[in-house]
Amino acid sequence: MTISVLIIDGPLGPPPPSVVAQGAGALCTFEGFVRPTEGAIPIEALNYQAYQPMAQTMLERLANDMKAKHGVMRIFMQHSRGRVAVGQCSFRLVVASRHRQEALAALDEFINCMKRDVPIWKNPVYILLPADR
Amino acid sequence: MDVRVLLFGPQAAAAGCETISVSLPPGATCADLRGVLGDKLPVLLPSLKESRIALNSEFAADSTRIGAGDEVALIGLVSGG
Repeated sequence: MTISVLIIDGPLGPPPPSVVAQGAGALCTFEGFVRPTEGAIPIEALNYQAYQPMAQTMLERLANDMKAKHGVMRIFMQHSRGRVAVGQCSFRLVVASRHRQEALAALDEFINCMKRDVPIWKNPVYILLPADR
Repeated sequence: MDVRVLLFGPQAAAAGCETISVSLPPGATCADLRGVLGDKLPVLLPSLKESRIALNSEFAADSTRIGAGDEVALIGLVSGG
């Protein structure tokens, strides 16, 4: 399968053993992790919410578009849904191609389009300080 | 025509609900819905202009008419990744 798009409950586990496509000369991986602050306010986690099935459909469409536009060989994507604690992985995009340029371009454009259009939201879970309790 | 609108993320938090029912005249468009939502939920006014409407899981233009039975969602600024 040249395209794989998965929305997974909770944090993402380790990357799969290999998503290298036959004949690929480049494999670019981007992983996103939950930062300890949101707008400078400490958080303990992010709760990701996806509007399904629209999010899945749009991610698959985006992957197909990027594969066609940049001529890459393989796109593998995972995105979390639900609670992901600080420091845990919530997004992974792996692109395989013959040369690095097309993989890097596809990876960058995929993320930009996803952040603009795909109906997924992150809701911060703020750390309650003693004064807030 | 009664329409149930799905809300998500910060807009759902601001509105205090994940769905809202609104009444629209027959032939109402997404632009009409935007106006009704602003009247009914003023707390959403600051974010309505930059929001999109999805009908049956596809983004719709403001001029698109809403049909009875359409699944309607308000898509505010997304923040995946």
